[in-house]
Amino acid sequence: MPAVVVFVAVIAIFALAYRFYSTYLAEKVYALDPDFVTPAHEFEDGVDYVPTNRHVLFGHHFTSIAGAAPIVGPAIAVVWGWLPALLWIVAGTVFAAGVHDTGSLVVSVRNKATNIGTLAQDVINPRSRTLFLAIIFFLLTLVNAVFAIVIGTLFVGNPEAVIPITLEIPLAIFIGQYIRRTNSSALVPSIAGVIVLYAMILVGMAYPIDITGIAEGLGMSARTLWILLLFIYGWIASRIPVWVLLQPRDYINSHQLFIALGVIFLGVLIGMDTIAAPAFNSVGGARNWFPFLFVTIACGAVSGFHSLVSSGTTSKQLDKDTDARYIGYMGSLGEGSLALGAVLATTAGIGIVGLNWGEQYADFGTASETALGNFVQGVAGFASNIGIPISYGTVFAAVVVISFAATTLDTGIRLQRYIIQEIGEIVDSRTLSQNLNLATTLAVVFPLGLALAPAGGDGDTLAFGRLWTLFGTTNQLTAGLALAVIAVWVTRNGRNAMAQIVPLTFLLFMTCWALFINLREFVANRDWLLAPLDLAIFVLAGWLIVEAVLAIRGARADRTAPVESPAEK
Amino acid sequence: MTADGPQHRILLVREWDSQTSGSGCCGRLGGEDCDVGHPDTFAHSRSLMEAMGAVYRALRAELPRRTVDITVVDPRNMVWLVPSILRDGRRRGMGPGELWRQLTGGVRNGAIVVDGRALFAHDYENTDDAVDAVLRELATAS
Repeated sequence: MPAVVVFVAVIAIFALAYRFYSTYLAEKVYALDPDFVTPAHEFEDGVDYVPTNRHVLFGHHFTSIAGAAPIVGPAIAVVWGWLPALLWIVAGTVFAAGVHDTGSLVVSVRNKATNIGTLAQDVINPRSRTLFLAIIFFLLTLVNAVFAIVIGTLFVGNPEAVIPITLEIPLAIFIGQYIRRTNSSALVPSIAGVIVLYAMILVGMAYPIDITGIAEGLGMSARTLWILLLFIYGWIASRIPVWVLLQPRDYINSHQLFIALGVIFLGVLIGMDTIAAPAFNSVGGARNWFPFLFVTIACGAVSGFHSLVSSGTTSKQLDKDTDARYIGYMGSLGEGSLALGAVLATTAGIGIVGLNWGEQYADFGTASETALGNFVQGVAGFASNIGIPISYGTVFAAVVVISFAATTLDTGIRLQRYIIQEIGEIVDSRTLSQNLNLATTLAVVFPLGLALAPAGGDGDTLAFGRLWTLFGTTNQLTAGLALAVIAVWVTRNGRNAMAQIVPLTFLLFMTCWALFINLREFVANRDWLLAPLDLAIFVLAGWLIVEAVLAIRGARADRTAPVESPAEK
Repeated sequence: MTADGPQHRILLVREWDSQTSGSGCCGRLGGEDCDVGHPDTFAHSRSLMEAMGAVYRALRAELPRRTVDITVVDPRNMVWLVPSILRDGRRRGMGPGELWRQLTGGVRNGAIVVDGRALFAHDYENTDDAVDAVLRELATAS
């Protein structure tokens, strides 16, 4: 199958979905009203609440939701063949992510731009906010663990990327300081930053950094040493102000996102390459696509974290109620397009560089080990179609993924520290809530333990594939909670909530099933680190099901007296 | 702007307090009123935002919505910002050299761009001065 056919077909489906399904959602389900006074107008203050041009807000929203996860999930999931992965990305994006992201935005806007956690408390019940925070706690723990592994794996496989990625840190700090201290243009330094970063790839290629010798001297693998170093970096990066490193690095990353998408899709259009993977693939390693596909691709099909963005800043800046369709739904389609790029890179792109797909995806364990390298090689293949040497394109792709993942890691550790501090406040421990060093250390120790946990069963040294699917389950639970909130709101307003209830039921069913199978495996393998974690997430899933069923039933009973929002009850 | 909509466009280029790209889909920092995060995290950016916010409110009070469009833009949003400045500048008949000067000034963190002409960057100690300069520029552009 030519990759370009798949590309054109998926983009055509996305266009039709936007034209028809998003219109149905906007008109019949969310009843968007052009005359509704949005919080951006009602509370307009020029700072947080600002009516914003929809194209400007879309740019902000899309760059806020796009990241490394829609790349990693599909790169693993094509182990079941390209078709199941692609079908879930398309169906998930159209029928789950679009509904979820647009709905989160609409419900937030109709409730004075309240965030999703508070909405859960208001729309469902106060217990739901505790449930929300608990899911976020587990989600962040898994995020930090898996992205440390992602970066460690890419550093080991691409030692040429170490120098550019390392130098990106002082480069970003310099750009941030330069912009602030000289009042100069952000355009020239940030583009110069990207050019310098990509020039550093040449230096990295000349001087690859391989720490295997040092690691062996310390009695560990190179990846383990990288993971340890990354958490030390994460500890420091999460303690310094965001404007020193995080924000200026986003200047560079925002350019990289569009450059990477451009390279992938231009490569597909110019190269006319054929997909090397089978449409369906039987997988060894006791992993069935049903239900694991649906928790392996989370971001890229549907991601609960998007509800935080939609109900965070985006809802405060929505100019017109009707703009929610464009920003929320189109943002989801953008994320789905990134996942499509990952599928094409790992199934068609790797053929260009001469990799044997069957060997790279021999079983689930192999797939989870090689997935990131496959994506990197695939992008390098597409880059070669537009005249970029494969050796350079390989490091370029590794730099893009590591840049995104590194930002996620230090942001995730910082967020985890906040949650630990909040827990300290709840249990009235001033030491925990006010000692930043202690809170940050705790935020590092637990994901570090998970990242280094032995995998058990298949003899692998790390549990990346299993950790990734656990990450997927918690991400889907977050999406499930947001969908439940939206469904209750839609039902209370006397409209048909099937557009939310169907993906909600599907996600919770698949998530619980995957958690149950995982739990059996962990117990059988005597994995006493992951088994309790899985059990805890399973309990949260059960709790969410109970709350969702009770809330939707309650909302149906209340239908006789529909209200616009809880605030108006 | 079009004949049907506002005749003038003012762009306020300032930091947004929230996390943007990179951490995206699975990690996000909150700003004010968010579930996770802390307002102090963005204190540095917020001081710039709040100074620009005062200019925004003053301009909004001074200028009717039907004739003047005011848009707040993140300086990282180059995909939208750069074409917008160029389009507005071309509409005023600027040559390539002048367009480049306005572009580099207009994408500064803290710039105020009136119909393609960049006026300020960063310093809003006196809101009235900024508003007066914008009003003068609007009078010139009309």
